[in-house]
Amino acid sequence: MDDLHMDALVIGGGIAGMQSALDLGDQGFQVALVERDPSIGGRMITLSKVFPTLDCCSCITTPKMSAVAHHPNIHLYTYCEIQSVQEHGAGFDVSILQKPRYVDISKCTGCRECEYECPITVPSPFDRNLGAYRAIRVPFSTAVPQKAVLDPEYCLWCGKCEQKCPVEAIDFSQQPETFTIEADSIIMATGFDLTPVSTKKEYGAGKLHNVIDPLMMERFLAPTGPYGRVLRPGDGKEPGSIAYVQCAGSRDETLGITYCSRVCCMYAIKQAMLLNGALPMADITIYYMDIRTFGKGYEQFYQNAKAMGVNFVRGKVASIREDADQNPILKVEMTDTGEIVEQTFDLVVLSQGIVPASHPTVSLPLGSDGFISVPAPDSAPCVTGRPGIFVTGTAAGPMDIVDSIVSASAAAAEASAYIRENGSRLEVEKEALYA
Amino acid sequence: MPENQQPRIGVYICHCGGNISGAVQCESVAKALKGLPNVTITRTDESMCSDAGQSLIEKDIQELGINRVVVGACAPMLHEQTFRGAVTRAGLNPFLYHHVGLREQDSWVHGHDKTAATDKALRLMSAGVAKARLLQPLDPIRLGAEKHALVIGGGVAGLRAALDIARQGLRVTLIEKSPFLGGRMAQLETVFPTEEEARALLHDLIQKVTAHPNVTIFMGAEVMGVSGYVGNFTIQVKQHSRGVSDDNAEALMSACTQEVPDPFNYGLTKRKVIYRPYEGCYSSTPAVDWDHYDGRPFDVNGWPIELKDEPKSFELNVGAVVVATGFDPYTPPQGEYGFGELPQVVTLPQLIRHLALSKDGKSLQWNGRAVRDVALIHCVGSRQVDGVHQPQEDGQVNNYCSRVCCTASLHMTADLHKRYPELNIYDLHQDIRTYGRGHEEYYRHALEDGVRFLRYNGEEVPEVSPAPQGDSHPVLVKVKDMLTYGEEIEIPVDLVVLAVGFMPRDLHGLDKMLKISRGNDRFLLEVHPKLRPVETAVKGVILAGSAQGPMNIQESLSAASAAAAKVASLLGRGKVELPPFVAAVDVEKCNGTGACVEACVYEGAIALQTFNENGEEVKRAVITPANCVGCGACVAVCPNNAVNVQGWTLAQYEAMVEAIGMDLPAMTEVTA
Amino acid sequence: MTTQTLSRAELLKQLRTTHAESVKRAQELLKEQKHMQQELCAFFREKPRTVPEAAQATGIPADKVLWFVAAMKKYGIVAEAGMCGDYPLYKKVEEN
Repeated sequence: MDDLHMDALVIGGGIAGMQSALDLGDQGFQVALVERDPSIGGRMITLSKVFPTLDCCSCITTPKMSAVAHHPNIHLYTYCEIQSVQEHGAGFDVSILQKPRYVDISKCTGCRECEYECPITVPSPFDRNLGAYRAIRVPFSTAVPQKAVLDPEYCLWCGKCEQKCPVEAIDFSQQPETFTIEADSIIMATGFDLTPVSTKKEYGAGKLHNVIDPLMMERFLAPTGPYGRVLRPGDGKEPGSIAYVQCAGSRDETLGITYCSRVCCMYAIKQAMLLNGALPMADITIYYMDIRTFGKGYEQFYQNAKAMGVNFVRGKVASIREDADQNPILKVEMTDTGEIVEQTFDLVVLSQGIVPASHPTVSLPLGSDGFISVPAPDSAPCVTGRPGIFVTGTAAGPMDIVDSIVSASAAAAEASAYIRENGSRLEVEKEALYA
Repeated sequence: MPENQQPRIGVYICHCGGNISGAVQCESVAKALKGLPNVTITRTDESMCSDAGQSLIEKDIQELGINRVVVGACAPMLHEQTFRGAVTRAGLNPFLYHHVGLREQDSWVHGHDKTAATDKALRLMSAGVAKARLLQPLDPIRLGAEKHALVIGGGVAGLRAALDIARQGLRVTLIEKSPFLGGRMAQLETVFPTEEEARALLHDLIQKVTAHPNVTIFMGAEVMGVSGYVGNFTIQVKQHSRGVSDDNAEALMSACTQEVPDPFNYGLTKRKVIYRPYEGCYSSTPAVDWDHYDGRPFDVNGWPIELKDEPKSFELNVGAVVVATGFDPYTPPQGEYGFGELPQVVTLPQLIRHLALSKDGKSLQWNGRAVRDVALIHCVGSRQVDGVHQPQEDGQVNNYCSRVCCTASLHMTADLHKRYPELNIYDLHQDIRTYGRGHEEYYRHALEDGVRFLRYNGEEVPEVSPAPQGDSHPVLVKVKDMLTYGEEIEIPVDLVVLAVGFMPRDLHGLDKMLKISRGNDRFLLEVHPKLRPVETAVKGVILAGSAQGPMNIQESLSAASAAAAKVASLLGRGKVELPPFVAAVDVEKCNGTGACVEACVYEGAIALQTFNENGEEVKRAVITPANCVGCGACVAVCPNNAVNVQGWTLAQYEAMVEAIGMDLPAMTEVTA
Repeated sequence: MTTQTLSRAELLKQLRTTHAESVKRAQELLKEQKHMQQELCAFFREKPRTVPEAAQATGIPADKVLWFVAAMKKYGIVAEAGMCGDYPLYKKVEEN
C-alpha cells in the first residue's frame, strides 16, 4: 500500500473514536480511523439499551457507524493494529499492520453463505463467548463493514467456504501487510476492558457458573443476544431472582483499583429496569456502598427504579459461593443493620468496573490508575503528555457514553486547532479547507 | 428524472431492536401495505438505521427503481436526516422521503395494547404512503453563513468555547454580563484534582482569549434581541458604561463611600459600588455597580462628580450562538438547616471565600469564636424529595444530583484538615459520589484524616437547631445515622456548612429570545444526550457548560470545546443549508388579497409586489424563503388556496387524513 | 512470495501445515461438536426438551449444552418450543 497523508489519525472505532472522526471529517479534515477489530462500533454496539433515555443502543450507534463508513473525508481501516508511532516534524509516521481477513472485501457482499457453510462452531466474543458463530463469519448483524472474516485460530482450511462463496471473495493467499500513514495529529480512543475478577477469589474468581459480568447481561437483554431472552448461562434457567454486586472490582484496594468506575451504578440500575420488563416476576436486588447517579437525569432514573420495585440494599458482599444446583449464595454485611446475612439467587451480576484496554498501542505517559495521563485536566482535558496526541473517552479514565461523546468532540476541537497551528498542510490548502 | 415518473414507493418498517416490534406486528403491517397502490416493495428490518438497513433502501432505489421512500421508525427528530442521506446517496432527491414515527407516536405509548398499536401503525404508515405519492423533489435553501460566532458568558466555559472557535479560524465575539471575566471559577481558590490555583488557570485562559486576534470581547453587555437563523443571526446587544476610566479610577474609588454586600464573597464582606471583584481581575479597570449605585455625586478634590450609565446599543451579525450562561449556587430558603437564622450556618461557596479571606492561624474563626467542631451537610438543594423539601418558586423540587458537591465537599475537608488539623469534621451525606478521575482519593484521604462520616436517608434529613443556653457549642445537628444502624445522633458544633447544589439560572428572557427550551430540571435542554449532546433544537444555538446542567470545571471545558467543534462544522464552509419547508405562492391562483401578509408574524417573510400582467398592474404575494419558518399561518388565511408550505401541502395533508380514516382490513384478517 | 502461484489445493495444504497445531485442535473440536450435535438433535427430535434434561440424558455439562443449543438455534437447527417451568424447551427443526 502507498504511504498516505492524513490530517488526523484516530485509534479506536468505538463511540468516542467515531465521534471524533465525524467531527473532524465534518470540518473538512482528512481522517484515518483505525480499528483493531473487523468491525467498528466498539463496546457500545454490544449493549442493549442505554441510560438514561433507554434508547435501543443500535438506534444511536449504527447510524454513527454508517455515517463514518459513508463520510467522504473518513478513511476506515478495520482489522488493523498500530505497530509504531514516530514523531515526524510536528506530526507522526504511524506504522500499521493490516491483518489478513482471508476475504477480499472489495468482492464480499456480506451474504453469509460462507458462514452457513463453515462446519465449525466457535465462541463469539461479541456475545462474551456465550453465543457462537463460525470460524468464518460476518462478526455481527450490524457490522461495518458488513464483510466476512476468517479466524485462523479455528479454521480447518477445508476450503468449503471458498467453494460456496458466490462472488469468489475468499482469498487464502492473503498475508499480513504493513503500511504507513503520515498524520498531523493522533486521537487515542482505545477504550476500556472490564476489571478482571479472576483474581478476586472471594467472588469465585470467575469460575462460578451463574455469576456473570455486566456485558453478558447486556447481550442477554439485547434482541440479538445469544439466547434471545434472559437465561442463566449455567443451565438455561430463566432466573427468578437476580442480584447485582456493585463496586466489584472498583474502589477495591485488594485489586489495586481504588477509583470509581463511574458507569456501574447506572448500568446496574438500567439493567434492573430492563429485567423488570423482560422478567416481570423476577426479584432484583442491588447491593451497593454508594449509589452514584450523578449525571443529567440520572438521579430521577434511580428514583424511578426504586419506584418500580428494584430492591436497593446497602451492604458489602463479602463472598460468593454456589450450592449444589449452582445457585450463587451471597454473604452480605448489611450496612444499615450490621448483620451478616446469606442469600441465594438464581443469577448474580458482578458490576465490574473499567480498566484501560489491554492494548497499549502508542507509548504515552500513564497516570497511576493506568489510564492515559492528562497532565492538566482543569485546563486541557483531552491533551496528553505527548504533543499532537490527544485522548478521548474511556482511554482517559472511566466515563459513560454521554461524557465520552462530549469528550470526543472536545478532542476533535483540540486536534483541529493543532492541525491548523502545526500541521503540514500548505497554507493554501488550509484556506481551501473552508472554501 | 425518476421523480417525475409514476410513484414507485418503497416502504420500510423498523423493529427498532424490539422497541417497535414489541408492540407492533411489523410483518403484518408490511404485508397489508403491500396491497396499496404504487407500493412496489415493503420490507422490515431489525434496525433500519444501521448501515445494512440503509443499504437495503439504497439497493431498492437502484435496482427496483423506487422513487419514493417511506420509513416507519423512531421519531423523525432522531433519524429523518439519516434516511434522507441514504436516499441521496442512491441518487434520489432527499425530499422524496417521508418519515413516520412508529416508536414515540405508537409502540412506546400503546405497548399495552398490541392490536391497537398494530392498527395505528398501519394507519400512520398508510398516511405516509398517501403523502409519499404526492411528494415532489425540493431543494434546500442555501445561504451564506457568517464565519463569526457569538459566545454568551465569560466564565470558564464561555472563555474556552471562544478560544477554541477562534483557533478554528472563525471570528468570535464574547459578551459577558458583568464588567469582569472569569465567572464562578474566579471565586474558587484551588481546583480538584490537581490542586492548581483556580485564578491562575483562569487567567492563563483569559490571556489566551484576549490575545487571540479573532476574538472581540464586550464586558458589561447583554443580549436584548435575537432574530434570524443559523448562519445569519442578528443580535441586539446593550453594553453598559464602565463608569470610570484608568485615569480617574483610583481617585473615584477613594472618594466612593457607598458600600454594598460583596457578591464575590457571597455577602460575607462589603465592597464599594466602584469596584474590582478581586486583585488581578480582568479587566483591571474598575467598574461601577449600576444596580446599587445610589446616584449621588462623588467628591473628588472638592468637585462633585456624578457617574451615569450611558449604555450603547449595537448589532452583531453572527452565524452561531454559544450559550455559556452558567449556574447559580443554590441559596437555601430562610430556615433550611437554620440558614439565614443561625449565624453559624454557611454555604460551601461562602466557606471557600471565608477561608480565602482568613489569615492563617491556629484555628478557624467564625462569628467571633474559634471553631472546633464543624458539620458538613451534603445534598442541600439537590436530590430533593417531593413532600419533604420546600419547593422552588415554580412549585418543583430539585430532584437532580448536582454532581460537583461531593468532591467539592471532600476537597474542602482536605483543606480544612491541612490548615486546622485539630478541627473535628462531621460529614453528613446520603451517598458519597466522588466519581471522577482522582476524586475517590479525596474520600480516602478524608477517612484517613479522621473525618467522621454519617449517613442520612433522603426522606429523613438532618435537623439543625440552636443549642440550649450554656451549652458548650452554639448549634446542635441531629441526624439518624445509617452507618450506626439508624442511631439518632446529636452533634454539637460551632459551624454548619451546607454543600449547596447547582441552580439553573434565570436568563432574563434570553432563552425565550433564542427559542431554546429547558428540561424537567429547568436547565437548558440539548436535543439528545448522545446524538447531539451540546446542540439545542434551534439549529446554530449551542450549549456550553453548566447552563446545561451541573458540571465541574473539567466537564465544562470539554463541553465548551465540543461546542466549538460544532460551531466549526456548522460555519467553517461559510454557507448553510436550511430545509425547504417554507411557504410557496401559486401565482396563477394568487389575486393579491394581502391576507397572507397580515397573518404573517415573521418580518420580511411575505410581501405583496406589483407585477405587470397583460399591461395591467396587479399585486401578488412573494415569499422570501430565508425569512419564512414554514408556520403555515398564510396558508390558513388565503381565500384562494394559493399558498402552500412546500413538502407539507394541503393536498398532501388531505391525502394523509383520508388514508388515516380509511376502512382498513382488521389486522387479524391480514395476519391470517 | 510464491503463494499466488500455488494452486488452490496446494495453498490450503500449505496453510494446514503452517497451522498444524491449531488445525489439530480444531479437528478435535469439530469431532466433539459433530458428536454433540448428533446426540442433542436426536434427543430434541423425540419431543421438546429443556437444557438440564438434555444434559442429564447426554452426560454433557449443562452450560456446554446451553452454549451449543444457542449456536444451533442461531443457525436454524433447533428452535424454542415453549417453556417447562423456568426452562425453555427446544425442539429439532425438521428440514423439508
